[in-house]
Amino acid sequence: MDKFRNKFKEEATDNINDLEDALLLIENETENKELVERIFRAMHSLKGGGAMFGFSQLSEFTHNLENLYHLVREGKLKITRKLLDITLASVDHMKVLLTDEDFDNPEIKAKHVNLSLQITKLLDSETEEDGRTDLFDQKDSNKIKSYYIYFEPNQDVFNDGTNPLFLLDELNSLGDCKVFAHFNKIPEIEKIDVTKCYTYWEILLATEENVNSISDVFIFIEDQCELEIIEIVDYDITLNKKIIEEISKLAEERKDVGVIEIQKIVKKYSEKTDSSEKIEKIVSKSGSLPSVKENVISSIRVSSNKLDQLMNLVSELVTTQARLSLYAEQSGQPDLAAIAENVQKLSRQLRDNAFDIVLVPIETMLTRFQRLVRDLSKELNKSVVFTAEGAETELDKTIIESLTDPLLHILRNCIDHGIESAENRKKLNKPEQGKILLKAFYSGANVHIQIHDDGAGMNLEKIRAKAIQKEIINKDTILSKKETLDLVFLPGFSTVENVTGVSGRGVGMDVVKRKLAEIRGEVELDSELNVGTTLTIKLPLTLSIIDGLLVKIAHNHYLMPLSAVNKIYATDHSNVINKYNNLIILDGKQFPFYYLREEFDLSEGNQAIEQVIIVSYEDQQIGLVVDEVIGEYQAVLKSLGKMYKKQEIISGATILGDGTVALVLDTNKIISQFSQVKINL
Amino acid sequence: MAKETITVLNSYLSFSLGEEVFAANVGKVLNILEMTKITEVPKAPDYMKGVINLRGTVLPVVDTRIKFGMTPTEYTTNTCIVVMEVEMEGENIQVGALVDSVKAVLEIEDSEIKPPPSIGSKYKSEFINGMVKVDDKFIMLLDMEKVFSSDEIISLKEKTNESEEKVELKEPKKTTNK
Repeated sequence: MDKFRNKFKEEATDNINDLEDALLLIENETENKELVERIFRAMHSLKGGGAMFGFSQLSEFTHNLENLYHLVREGKLKITRKLLDITLASVDHMKVLLTDEDFDNPEIKAKHVNLSLQITKLLDSETEEDGRTDLFDQKDSNKIKSYYIYFEPNQDVFNDGTNPLFLLDELNSLGDCKVFAHFNKIPEIEKIDVTKCYTYWEILLATEENVNSISDVFIFIEDQCELEIIEIVDYDITLNKKIIEEISKLAEERKDVGVIEIQKIVKKYSEKTDSSEKIEKIVSKSGSLPSVKENVISSIRVSSNKLDQLMNLVSELVTTQARLSLYAEQSGQPDLAAIAENVQKLSRQLRDNAFDIVLVPIETMLTRFQRLVRDLSKELNKSVVFTAEGAETELDKTIIESLTDPLLHILRNCIDHGIESAENRKKLNKPEQGKILLKAFYSGANVHIQIHDDGAGMNLEKIRAKAIQKEIINKDTILSKKETLDLVFLPGFSTVENVTGVSGRGVGMDVVKRKLAEIRGEVELDSELNVGTTLTIKLPLTLSIIDGLLVKIAHNHYLMPLSAVNKIYATDHSNVINKYNNLIILDGKQFPFYYLREEFDLSEGNQAIEQVIIVSYEDQQIGLVVDEVIGEYQAVLKSLGKMYKKQEIISGATILGDGTVALVLDTNKIISQFSQVKINL
Repeated sequence: MAKETITVLNSYLSFSLGEEVFAANVGKVLNILEMTKITEVPKAPDYMKGVINLRGTVLPVVDTRIKFGMTPTEYTTNTCIVVMEVEMEGENIQVGALVDSVKAVLEIEDSEIKPPPSIGSKYKSEFINGMVKVDDKFIMLLDMEKVFSSDEIISLKEKTNESEEKVELKEPKKTTNK
């Protein structure tokens, strides 16, 4: 059962997200019927699923909401800001209900009651105005259903003190009820035993309750009567006078009408009424059904664990294939070489496919962003519109996961510090409504995400003053614009004097930068005072595979990210040994260099000719000296695990074709770490 | 479930480091590998010998001898890598332990286990769950979790402890004399 409940939770989370998404969209297009349908559908599945898996609070809560949107669907309730506010708050509450079913937290309970009240208030104000005049209006209300009940108590039912009429009364309290009593089983007067019950009933009941609650009415005499409860149609037929008339006529003529006869009558009348509404309903139904179907076919849910496993297997396959190719080449058998080549081709395709699977469009994060912008701008009394371009850009799901928090933080900054208040914007001749644009696009093997706001921009003087005050820089330090802006990424740097609830606590951009660095992302900042700020994030497409340059030092293989490598020079060993200034002249240019064999404390012994790999570090070119360059290598990156987390210069490991492990070097870290050591010395 | 039944097992894998025999609960042991090529990780602590390829995953290998303050392991035909699963900061991780040789699997009842010695031991008793006497020899039952999760500082301390011990042979007398 827990398994199903968890499954439901997963599904419910999806539904809630979908709901939130649709709600945010509908804010701008209040007339969009499709969106209303989508909202309604999401609520409906939440309600149904909730009830089925024992999330009764959630189910009940959603039910009320659904009622509201039912009215919206019928055009009786307009989408208003107030309605959306309540709904969005309710959506948040639903998320809580999913995890805290029993109201362990009294605050949640209070919220629950409060929200439910608001919803019913809205609901009441609408339903009062809504007189049920239209005969077929109720057709659309799919929560009211009509039931046929056949109830024939045993003749000696009175012996227990049961009065069948009370039961009928109770039925009546469930909804609109038409009772047809049948007296044809009453014997002649002299044969009547007054202690016995001869009457039986046929009842038409239109109610919101389900079959169970109807049969609950009869619970005490269940075994003392013949009882049949059958759902006829999903609307209230008691309101259709013609149907009722015909049935009661039949009931008088015959002993009992029976469900079949009733269904026939109902059918007859509903066919006759080809009201435009009905057609519309059919149209909307046929319009919405296929899309649901498409959803089912076009995607399936897979747990991320399984995906990780798939990725691991593919990585292993790629590694094994490298071995096979190596062996085939060595063996010199043409047949084997052909097979190896095929395997190589297939595994490459498989790899590309598998990597493709774990890519997720940025779109998935957008709902949260939109929500944040909406809520926050309201809270801060600013008018901000958030747009996104290139939302279809895909990234590895692990990157997406770690990207959301930093981006939320950046957006918070944009709204809090970036966008000015409406009055200030007016003074500056800017449109009152601020704009935040999120732009994502591919650039080579990277994805760039830009967040641009047309707000106040950053005041370079202020940043500088702050940096001097915090003794980060000297008064005389001359910094370029870029360098000045980069100061905001330092820990504990915030130029806003007041700490707001939103941002400005000094744990800001540095955390963003660090978080992004964890996923090999880089941040760049550009800002123009009073024009706006643009923040660019560069991310690798995937974390698990890199193009690298395979090199050898002593008996160990190392891999450097190809993107960092600029040039490779061969040089004589004598050029790199015993140099105090650690500079080497290549092509007439001077390069600082690090002799990795020495830096890595590897054993003595060296090649006569060594290779200098020039890598870029910040704005400089720095040489790393290795024994031998083997070539380009596409590597499946594997983590070294917890035990090596302190070895920052190694970003991971990969398994080579011959089964040995090669370490992947983080050239930036190597240079920054070694240069520090040198200074300390 | 399966794991629970394993951890309550009273079987211990014994292995030797130099002259001493240690044992670890088999519930922690996943695999025993022959010695293979270990890729060294530069700038890592001495006892972190490097990494190996364990069927596609990268497995860190610890030189248990260095960890216990002995001289580095010399590779012989008997040298083995014992792959264990230990909990570290709430996460289960796999780690390989380099040992001089693997001996046997012993059945040891809880009642046979004696508390670790508090005085006169070369090894920090916090790493030792208990001692047991087998064939007139004492075997130390190791708490592998603690052995691997302790970082370099503690093991360095042990190293210095041991080197101090050597020094102590000469020096303490001087100090007491003074």
